[in-house]
Amino acid sequence: MAFYTLGLTFNLVILLTVIILAVWIYGIYFNFKKWGLGSTGYHDQLRNSFWLFLATWVHEAFKDGLWVFLRTVVLDVLLLRRTLARSPVRWVMHMSMFYGFLALAAMSGFALFLDIIEHFNLAGLAHEAEMVKEMLGLPFDVFGYLLLIGATIAVSRRILLKFVRDNTTAYDAFLIGAVFLITITGFYAEWMRGNSFLIGNLFEYPVYAPHFALIHTVLAIGLFALVLPWSKYIHVIATPMTLIANRGGE
Amino acid sequence: MADQKNSKPLMTGFMLSTQLMEVDGCNRCQECMKWCPTFAVRPDRPGITPMYKNARWRELMAKSHSLRAKIFGAKPLNDDEMKVFTEDTYSCTTCGVCGTVCEAGIRTVELWEAMRPNLVARGDGPVGKQNMFPKLVKADRNPYMAKQEDRLCWVPKDVKVQESGEIVYFAGCTAAYRQQALGVATVRILDSLGVPFAMLGKDEWCCASAMVRTGQRDVMAEHAVHNVDALKDAGAKKVLFACAGCLRNAAVDWPLWYEGYIPYETMPLSVFLRDAIRKGEINYKIPLNYAVTYHDPCHNGRHLMHLKGKDWSFESPRDCVQSIPGIKFRDMVRNRALQRCCGAGGGVKAGIPDLALDCAKARVRDGEEVSAEVIASTCPFCRRNIMDGRNDAKSGIKVLDVVELMAASMGLDMTIPENPYTKFQEQDVLVCGPAECKLDTVERKAPGKDEVGEAH
Repeated sequence: MAFYTLGLTFNLVILLTVIILAVWIYGIYFNFKKWGLGSTGYHDQLRNSFWLFLATWVHEAFKDGLWVFLRTVVLDVLLLRRTLARSPVRWVMHMSMFYGFLALAAMSGFALFLDIIEHFNLAGLAHEAEMVKEMLGLPFDVFGYLLLIGATIAVSRRILLKFVRDNTTAYDAFLIGAVFLITITGFYAEWMRGNSFLIGNLFEYPVYAPHFALIHTVLAIGLFALVLPWSKYIHVIATPMTLIANRGGE
Repeated sequence: MADQKNSKPLMTGFMLSTQLMEVDGCNRCQECMKWCPTFAVRPDRPGITPMYKNARWRELMAKSHSLRAKIFGAKPLNDDEMKVFTEDTYSCTTCGVCGTVCEAGIRTVELWEAMRPNLVARGDGPVGKQNMFPKLVKADRNPYMAKQEDRLCWVPKDVKVQESGEIVYFAGCTAAYRQQALGVATVRILDSLGVPFAMLGKDEWCCASAMVRTGQRDVMAEHAVHNVDALKDAGAKKVLFACAGCLRNAAVDWPLWYEGYIPYETMPLSVFLRDAIRKGEINYKIPLNYAVTYHDPCHNGRHLMHLKGKDWSFESPRDCVQSIPGIKFRDMVRNRALQRCCGAGGGVKAGIPDLALDCAKARVRDGEEVSAEVIASTCPFCRRNIMDGRNDAKSGIKVLDVVELMAASMGLDMTIPENPYTKFQEQDVLVCGPAECKLDTVERKAPGKDEVGEAH
């Protein structure tokens, strides 16, 4: 999805990527250090340490051995066993969003890597990189639809179910609204290029496709780096870490 | 506005660093709100639910530890918000159903119990009469202002209690001073089985559960170490508990405070009795023709199911009840790991008694829904609170301990010897003749000196 428009150049994109990653990594460090304000044991003194948080987490995660750790990662983090036990609908929603988001994020990173190869013709692989990028089109669409399904269920629950709606805060609305908006803008940018998966040329408008792609990218990066580590959306990181530390709560 | 006390930031030292992470791990799925027993009776106060408590803790902590606070300086906490948060945090029975259903796998009981000492240390908690617990227990080693020398005053003279032995029955303060029918039933059954058992007598100190639950940990250390040492000195290999609160503390909390080796196993009495039933050692004589349901105490159930297994926690008391001839057993809709808390736990009975009462009434309604005549349990505190709820709701349902049902059906003499605490007894009982038992209620004859009621 090309977004080199409005004066945005390849070099500028690389520079912004580095800055965004730095902000994100600092955000994670900041949270780990905040969690380090707790103690390392029931009677232990306050340590206030980033490293001791990590040490405590590793200790908790592996307390019952490697097998239990792996079982927790598979059953609770990757398959969301506890969510399935409570609500199959929520499980479908979470699985769709989780895998949709993860796959799209990973493929976006990979696409950027291919962009770099193509731009500098590293090892003379520019052509091959371009071909691989073309091949990524279908998986991007599939995982995009997966994320769209999850985001649609999430928005629908918040609107249609009274109990859920009554206890929805601005935070909840913002996060789910943002994910939904990012997904939709991504799709719309793709549809505007024409010859799209399932849609064909229904929304074809190639002149403005890069603009929409840019909006999509800015929104996604904004949520990823500028909002996620600095707000309660850190749960995206903290929840799997909690599940592992508590051996799935089982 | 903020005064000197409230200019202190939120304290975090009693929480593990992974627990601070757990607070951020809440993904606001709202599942806990559907099960929370206190929110069920206070639907206008979502702040008492785990999801909102986590959110509030995060906000309060952010005042001192967010990026904004790092750049622009910390914001002071003010009286009002701390008061509301403290009330919300203490309006929790620490029943743990939220942890059972939590999608993020947060260990909520441990989390709330770690939040509370921070509030106590900062001067915000505890609430209501909960601050009486440490004073009373430190002074008398029990919360009822009773004499330690009277710990065994209710034991029938013809029952042989040893001073030491491999099997020790830890009765707990409530069975010793307020619900002696439970104590009598327990020692009668053990005696009839020919089990040589010991009791600690005046060396048995309060398990200190109420202090741990309410974040007042100071006295806890002394009591945990003393009780473990006393049990070791008595030569215990197996310690039996007919009180879920004591069992929970002995199995989970005491070891956290005791540095040496603990050579004994803690065991719910129902497990011990079920083994005897399976061996054919229990001989029932009188059928109990009542519809009975079982209320799972949180401390014996959810709190211990990961440590002792679900069979010990949930099935053994049911097996005991169902072994009694004549009983028509029916489970309430919410049972086992998803059971509804009676409302007494977490210090709520002492701190916010009206909340505890409303929770108990909800549990009584659960029992009525399945047309039960008797709610059986294995926790004297649940029993006390459900009885209070029953009285307030003017329900005809009776509340008894599983051990008492068994002892009655075995035809054992349940008479409580006259003692200084006879006048404080108030409990439902089974009055048995040679062929049948009838349900009755013993009314308290004196107001007693209970400063904090019965709570765990």
